[in-house]
Amino acid sequence: MNDPSSADEDLAAVEQVVAGETRAFEGIVRRWQGPLINMAWRYCRDRGRAEEMAQEAFLRAWRGLAKWRREGSFSSWLFALAANVYRSELKRFPTETLPMEAAPEPSGPAAQHSELSAQLSREALYRAVLALPLRYREPVILFYFHEMDVAAAASTMGLPEGTLKARLSRARALLRQRFPHLDEEQAAHPSQRPRRMGHQDLGHREIDQETRKEVAN
Amino acid sequence: MNRAKRGRSDECAGINRNARIETEIDQILAGEEELMPSSGFLGSVMDRVRQEAALPPPIPFPWKLAVPGILLAGGVCGWGGYELMRSGLPLMSAFSFTLTPRHLSAATVLALEQAGWVALALGSSLASWLLSRRLAGASGIL
Repeated sequence: MNDPSSADEDLAAVEQVVAGETRAFEGIVRRWQGPLINMAWRYCRDRGRAEEMAQEAFLRAWRGLAKWRREGSFSSWLFALAANVYRSELKRFPTETLPMEAAPEPSGPAAQHSELSAQLSREALYRAVLALPLRYREPVILFYFHEMDVAAAASTMGLPEGTLKARLSRARALLRQRFPHLDEEQAAHPSQRPRRMGHQDLGHREIDQETRKEVAN
Repeated sequence: MNRAKRGRSDECAGINRNARIETEIDQILAGEEELMPSSGFLGSVMDRVRQEAALPPPIPFPWKLAVPGILLAGGVCGWGGYELMRSGLPLMSAFSFTLTPRHLSAATVLALEQAGWVALALGSSLASWLLSRRLAGASGIL
């Protein structure tokens, strides 16, 4: 999500913007519009609103560029800023989400033969993520947004990695309880699996240990 | 013995099942298709950026005009504090010697009340000043 050439381009563009060249900001928006809109989409599941929130994030970034201390990468700063914007936007105007218990049940055995059924159970999972309590929802959103990179998600949230792993583990346990037959449903439709898959996998055993610690505390 | 073995195998099956479900969750959530930004998105962001850039820079805080007022307010606060101490300290000492209310004369009670009102007025002035600064989004001092 952040290659060195893009980082150099970002840095050069930032210097130009800070020097007063507003036009240079266009390059930044062009490079980061996709990730920021997709990140916003995962927070609200509303395309129009996702674009509005991403636009607000870019504006805040533009206002704050001079204050960026260049301690980390530009992308880390931008994602953290965007996450703050999205969080506060959703606090002001929350999305309409069903409670976890009210999310639609996964499809029954009879419906499993339709392709629609697999799609519906994925949609139900997306909705269930939005219905998670906030402290668990955001780690899930950012972990999968960052292609399952715990360090990147923790950096965006400004949390220690251990805390993020613990919350993530708890969130996955809640989702697992909610969708106890997900493996069977998806196994029935292997062709319907989503195409993109993150390159970094997080050991389930490690996460389970974090859950136990959290529960013990 | 067999029961223990069966228990262990049930436990293993449960763990495997959980792992499979979590793998499915991972695949679904990590494999979401990406949205493409709408064609006008870049333009609308840059329009807003240009609008903001065209705005005059924020007016700096008029320190030259404000300093006399701040000094005056500081003086009033200082004077109030001094008066409070001047009238309050003897009362406090009187209070410490005469712990029972029957030893407080009417004049002492009156003076205590006045000191209380002065303290309240000073406190509310300070609170309203801080509140107005906060509402104006001011930063810096306090």
